[in-house]
Amino acid sequence: MAIFPSREWVEAVLQAAEKSEKYKEAAKDWEGDFLSIIEGDEEFVRDLSRREVMEGFISFLDMMPSEARKKFKGTPMGDVFEKKLGVPLDTPADKFSIDEMTSMASKLSAEDIKGACTYFWSDFWHGSVRAMKPVAPGEHEDATFKLSGKYSAWKLMVSGRQDTIRLVMSNKLKLEGDMSYVMKHMKAVVALTKEVFAGVPID
Amino acid sequence: MYFEIDPKIREDKGLSLLREETHRFAEEVIRPAARKLDRMSDPEQVIAKDSPYWDVLKQMKKLGYHRIFIDPDYGGLGVNATEAHIILEELGWGSVGLTTAIGVDQIAPAVASLFAMGDVIEKIVKPWVEDTEAKYHGCWGVTEPECGSDYIMACEESFLPHVKELHPGEVRADKDGDGWVINGPKSSWISSAPTATHVGLHVTLPPHDNLANGAFCIVPLEQEGVTKGKPVDKLGLRDDPQGDITFDNVHIPDDYMLIRPPFYEFRIGQIICATSCFMGTIFTGLARAAFEEALRYSRERIQGGKPLCEHQLIKQKLYKMFEKVESSRCYTRKIMEHVWERIYIERTFDASSRHALSAQIYGKRSAFEVAYEALQIFGGYGLTKDFLIEKLFRDARAGLIEDGTTEVLGLAAAYNIIEEC
Ligand SMILES: Cc1cc2nc3c(=O)[nH]c(=O)nc-3n(C[C@H](O)[C@H](O)[C@H](O)COP(=O)(O)OP(=O)(O)OC[C@H]3O[C@@H](n4cnc5c(N)ncnc54)[C@H](O)[C@@H]3O)c2cc1C
Repeated sequence: MAIFPSREWVEAVLQAAEKSEKYKEAAKDWEGDFLSIIEGDEEFVRDLSRREVMEGFISFLDMMPSEARKKFKGTPMGDVFEKKLGVPLDTPADKFSIDEMTSMASKLSAEDIKGACTYFWSDFWHGSVRAMKPVAPGEHEDATFKLSGKYSAWKLMVSGRQDTIRLVMSNKLKLEGDMSYVMKHMKAVVALTKEVFAGVPID
Repeated sequence: MYFEIDPKIREDKGLSLLREETHRFAEEVIRPAARKLDRMSDPEQVIAKDSPYWDVLKQMKKLGYHRIFIDPDYGGLGVNATEAHIILEELGWGSVGLTTAIGVDQIAPAVASLFAMGDVIEKIVKPWVEDTEAKYHGCWGVTEPECGSDYIMACEESFLPHVKELHPGEVRADKDGDGWVINGPKSSWISSAPTATHVGLHVTLPPHDNLANGAFCIVPLEQEGVTKGKPVDKLGLRDDPQGDITFDNVHIPDDYMLIRPPFYEFRIGQIICATSCFMGTIFTGLARAAFEEALRYSRERIQGGKPLCEHQLIKQKLYKMFEKVESSRCYTRKIMEHVWERIYIERTFDASSRHALSAQIYGKRSAFEVAYEALQIFGGYGLTKDFLIEKLFRDARAGLIEDGTTEVLGLAAAYNIIEEC
């Protein structure tokens, strides 16, 4: 079981994509990167007050160079770190006190993290996932597609408990970009959820 | 009963039983009720509380036929494409009118079951699938007084570059607080509108500039602002009433909006793909019914000193009818399997519209051609109310217009053929 989002989850997803013949076949014509935006919500606050989730989340952010992390300064997510969890953004990852942060997180409310977003960028190209990594606000804004939504909706998608189409159609996730391209490549989108994401169980 | 050409279906005991049981229901319940309804001189009688329409609908709901197209994870019948095809051909054999009624019934809850989450599932889909008393009854509001064929064309994705040449649509939804407010008229042709409690409704969205800038929503009809016209008095399909619905500041919550932009313009055609397989299949049932009537009559009626079927001219007619029924079954079944795979199994919602539309056209056209020849074989008696064939002929004729004229469906398919083939 991996934590979403975490370094372990990213690595497992990359491996699952590499191994899945079904995904490779379904996505063989796909060209286009995605900027994914995960908005903090009640479930995120609840999950962060579990030590393993906080640890996973920090490992995810630690995949970003510390320079990039500084770009969160002044954003709602930056404020959560600096003001609510008491951790300056340039703190090296090994200096984070997971226990302390978990305990601080347990005092947060959904209101406290309103607007706080985590971003990750994935580069899907002809059946392979060339990159998947957390990014700072403003980075990869020119991605071909943007998928945004609350953390709880993202969890439903990456766990495979709900299909992407239902989440997007019911407005839980918002997809921006050339829709006619997406429609022509629905096989790739479905295979990414069914064969890749759902192949990495999350906690 | 016909000889099933596919050994996988023929040798499957479950499928044979399904066919026999559905056929029995079609023969004992649907067909007699359909004939009674068809003979009612005033369409108001068809929709009256004590009409056989309601008995059949209740029985169909008890048997779960209103759940064929509903996602099995949300209470759908859980049949595969072959089973759906077998059921629908038999029901269509009994009456395409009453089968249309159970078909349009499930369009909105089926769409909700495939795409919605939360409230709409609890409030609409769950009670709908559990209903065995016909408390809920759906219809499908696409066409409008000024947009008949135009609305059919607008549902074809390959036609999108030309959509602005069409009428921009009359039924409009505008944002109103957390929900939507709907205004405008749908055509007099909405099947089951006079009896329906809900409509799966096509609307345009601001700035209301074209039919593709639209959405599909579910609207409860028993509320203020909804007016329904009288059921239409018409030539065929008299057992399923059509009528208009007008919306005057009718409110729905946001989550009743089931398909929105940008999906509406690219994916609304998938509903037409599903309804096209449905139509092609039920009209295959009608074609078979007409063929069976003609075959039986041609064995009984003696002219020229021998049964009609022994004359070469009639033999030739019977052969051609047989060929049409069999090819219609094979084709509509194959296309049903394709559409089912893309919508219910793969969930990619990318069924080929040219194939689906052609299945509808082929099924409806075969039904009309077979019913036309069958009536001819009956001679003068074929024109009388004493024989079923005249009803089948009228129903088949109406089929060439219902759900899109065969010409316009073909035109829409042609755009797709030219773009994709
Ligand atoms: C029994 C029955 C049931 C129905 N049920 C429903 C229902 O449940 N829901 C619903 O929304 N509608 C329903 N309809 C409406 C049906 O879809 C329309 O009647 C059909 O699409 C044709 O539209 P129209 O009648 O306005 O004819 P028009 O669009 O006015 O067409 C008139 C003629 O012109 C031709 N034509 C139109 N446009 C073109 C073109 N661009 N190029 C060449 N020829 C063209 C047509 O083929 C037709 O012959 C039903 C109709 C019938 C008869």
